[in-house]
Amino acid sequence: MLARTLVAAAAIVATAALALTGCTGGSAGTPSSTGTPDPEASAAIRLVLEPSNLDIRQTAGAALDQILMDNVYQGLVSRTPDQKIVPALASEFTKSADGLTYTFTLREGVTFADGQKLTPDDVVWSLTQHKTQAGWADADTLSRVKSVTASGQTITITMSTPDSTLLWNLTGRAGVILKKDDKVDYKTAANGTGPFVLGSWKQGDSITFERNDAYWGTKAKVKEVVFDYIPDNQAALNAALAGEVDVLTGFDANLKDQVEAGGDFRLVLGKSTDKGTLAMNSHNTWLKDKRVRQAIRQAIDHEAVVKALGSGQPMYGPIPQLDPGYEDLSAVAPYDPAAAKQLLKDAGAHDITLTLTIYNGYGTTIPQILVSDLNAVGITLKVDAVEFPTWLNDVYINKNYDLSFVLHTEARDFENWANPDYYFTYDNPQVQRLYQQSLDATDDAQAAGYLKQAARIVSEDMAADWVYNGASVVAVGTNITGMPSVNVNERLNLAEIAKSKG
Amino acid sequence: MIRYTLTRLALLVVGLAVASVLIFLTLRVLPGDVAQLIAGTNSTPAQIAAVRDQLNLDAPLPVQYGAWIGGILHGDFGVSLITGTPVLAELAQKAQVTVPLGLFAMTIALVLAVPLGVLSAILRGRPGGTALNVGSQAVAAVPVVWAGMMLVVVFAVWLGWLPAQGFPRAGWQQPGPALRALLLPALTIGVVEGAMLLRFVRSATLQAIGQDFVRTAAAKGLTRTQALIRHGLPTMALSVITVLGLQVAGIIVGAVVIEQLFSLPGIGRMLVADVGNRDLVKVQGELLVLTGFVLLVGFAVDLFHRAIDPRQREAA
Repeated sequence: MLARTLVAAAAIVATAALALTGCTGGSAGTPSSTGTPDPEASAAIRLVLEPSNLDIRQTAGAALDQILMDNVYQGLVSRTPDQKIVPALASEFTKSADGLTYTFTLREGVTFADGQKLTPDDVVWSLTQHKTQAGWADADTLSRVKSVTASGQTITITMSTPDSTLLWNLTGRAGVILKKDDKVDYKTAANGTGPFVLGSWKQGDSITFERNDAYWGTKAKVKEVVFDYIPDNQAALNAALAGEVDVLTGFDANLKDQVEAGGDFRLVLGKSTDKGTLAMNSHNTWLKDKRVRQAIRQAIDHEAVVKALGSGQPMYGPIPQLDPGYEDLSAVAPYDPAAAKQLLKDAGAHDITLTLTIYNGYGTTIPQILVSDLNAVGITLKVDAVEFPTWLNDVYINKNYDLSFVLHTEARDFENWANPDYYFTYDNPQVQRLYQQSLDATDDAQAAGYLKQAARIVSEDMAADWVYNGASVVAVGTNITGMPSVNVNERLNLAEIAKSKG
Repeated sequence: MIRYTLTRLALLVVGLAVASVLIFLTLRVLPGDVAQLIAGTNSTPAQIAAVRDQLNLDAPLPVQYGAWIGGILHGDFGVSLITGTPVLAELAQKAQVTVPLGLFAMTIALVLAVPLGVLSAILRGRPGGTALNVGSQAVAAVPVVWAGMMLVVVFAVWLGWLPAQGFPRAGWQQPGPALRALLLPALTIGVVEGAMLLRFVRSATLQAIGQDFVRTAAAKGLTRTQALIRHGLPTMALSVITVLGLQVAGIIVGAVVIEQLFSLPGIGRMLVADVGNRDLVKVQGELLVLTGFVLLVGFAVDLFHRAIDPRQREAA
C-alpha cells in the first residue's frame, strides 16, 4: 500500500557513514520513568510520513493505519504488538471447528466519537461494505465471507470456505467498524470508537488526537497526542534536542549517541515486519536464469547492510520472524562472492548490466552497497532513483524493471508470492497451492506449516533477495512510559502512553 | 501611461494563458496517477479502476483543461483530488506561513544589503570595503540548505533560543511563537538573497558615484556621502527594485527548500507533497497562482519604473 511500504524509509534515508553504535537488540521495552504520569499532558510524537488524507475506508498506506487504527478506529478484534489477536469491540469470539462460523459478542455501551451509539446493525453494515465496495482497501480479503448477521449482541460471520487469515484481516482495514450511513467527511475527519478522537489536522505539519472521555474501555493516560510530521532525521534530532518532541519514530540507529547525549532520550530497537525486498524481474533475459538470481543473492553481504543501517537483522526468505511460517533460511544462499562468480560463469553471464529502480526517498545507503557488492562479482548495476508515483507506474503496474528495492512493511503479506500477477513476477503453482492450503486450514499451526513450506520454496527458487529485516527504531523521552516499540511503522497503539511532569 | 499599462496588462494575461497550458501539459507527462497512489501496493486492478472512475480521471485532456480554465474564470480553482478541500482555501491557509516568511526574508535582505552595499562601495579599495565585498561573495555562494542547517545548529541546538522546526499549531493567534518560528527560516533565505542583492547595491552605488550630477553636487559643496544619498540614491533605487522584483522568484524557490528543512506548513511544502501525491488539480492551481504572482510583481516593477523614470516616458 502507498507508503505502507515506505514509512520506514527514514531508517535508511540516513547517514550510514556515522560511527556504528552497539544498540540493544530485540523487542526491548520502553524506558521507565520515575515521575508521576500527568493526565493533562500533551505528548508529541515525531512521525515520518503524513497521510495524504484520512479516509480509512479507501486510502492505502501505513501512514493511516499507523495512527488511526486502535487509537481512533476499532474492529471486533485487534492485534497486540507481538501480533496476537485479541478482543476489541467484541468482548469475546469463537470459531467453529470446521472454520465456517465465527461468533462475536458485541460490547454494550460503546459510542462513536460524535456520541452515536454502536449497534449490531452498524457492525453488519460495515463488514458488508468492506466486502462489497470495490474501491475500498483490502476488499478482497473478505472474499470468502458468505454472510454477516446479527441477533441481539451476537454477530455471526458465515464463510463459504474456511479462511485461516480471516481474524487477522478483521484486525486491519477490512474489519474497521463505522457508523452505518455516517455523514462524516472521512477524508478530513474521523468518527470511530477508539480511546482517542481526532482533534485537528494541520496538513503538512501535524495531527492532534484528544482523549475520548466517553471511551468504553480504560481511558487514555494523556490529554492529547500530537503527531509531528518531520521527514528528515536530522531535523527530527534537532527537534528532540530542542525539547520540541517527546518521541521519535522511524529514527536512525546511527544517531543513537547524538540523541542520547543529553540524557533525555533512550534509543529503543523493536522487531518489525519491514522486509527490504530486492525484487528480480523474471522476464529479464538474465534474471530468468535461476543461477543469475542466486549469484546476486550470494554477492550481497547482508551482515554489512545491517551494520551500515545500525539496526535490523539479515533476512533470507519472504517471511519475517514476527509472522507465522518463519524459518531461518540463512543456509539457502549464504554470502559467497566466489560462488556467485562461478554461478555467473556457468550461466554465461559475462559483464552484464542491470538497472535497479528504487524510490528516491530511500536514500543512498542500500543502492551504494548493492552497486559495490554486485560490481565485485562482475555485474554492473545502474541505479534509477525515481519518485514513488513513477515507481508505482513503472514497476508495480507495468512490471517494467530489472531489479527493484522496496521496504515492504506489511505484516503477513506472503500472499504476494502466491500471486503471479504481482510485480514480483513470481509464478510457482506449488507455492500457490501451498498458500491456498494454508488459507483453507482450520488450525493455525497447520496454516503456519504450509506457509513455512511455501516460503522455503520461494527462497530456494531465488525469487528475490531479502536484503534485511528492518527494526522499529524509536527514541523515547525519559519522561514517557507505555510507548510501543514493536512494528510501530505499521501500527502505533497509544492506549498506554503516559507522560510525567518535568 | 494608460496605454502602456493596458499593453502590459494584456501581456500579463497572455503570459498567464500560455503558462496555464504549459503547466497543465507538463503535469500530464508525469508517470503514475493519484488513483494508483490512493489504492496502493496491495491493490487489484479493479480497485484502481474504481478509484479512477470516482475521481473522473479518464476524461479527455482538452475536456479536463476546459473544465479547469472554465472554473478559474468563475473564481473556482477546483478541489483537491485527495482531500476534497477547495484549492484556493488550501492556498490561503498555507499563505499565512509563506507570505510572512517571504516578506520577512525580503526585509532582512534589504536591511542587510542596502546599507552594507553602499558602505562597501564607499569603502572601495580600503580593507573594510574589500572584506564586505569578499564576504558577500562568499555568502551569496552558500546553498540555502547549508545556511539553514548551520543556523539551526547554532541558534536552536546550541543556544536554544529559537525553535529548530515547525510552526505553532495556533498559528498567528500566537504572534510571538509564530514570529520566532519564522525567524531562522527567514534569516536563512534573507541572508543568502541579501548577499546577492548587496552586490547589486554596491555596483549601483559605484555607478552613481561616477555620475556627473553626483560629482557636480559634490563640487557645489556637499560631501561625497551627502551627494550620494541626496542625488545618487533615487537612481540606485530603480535598479535595486528591479533586482528585488527578480528575487521574488528566488524567494519562492527558497521557501520551497526552507519549508522542507524547517517543517513549515507553507505553500512550498504543500506543493512538494502534492506533486508526490499526483494531486494534479491542486498542483496546477498552486503553480498558476505562483506564476501569476511572479508575473504580477514584474508588471508592478515595470509600472513603477515607468512612473519614476522620466527617461522611459520621453522615450515612448
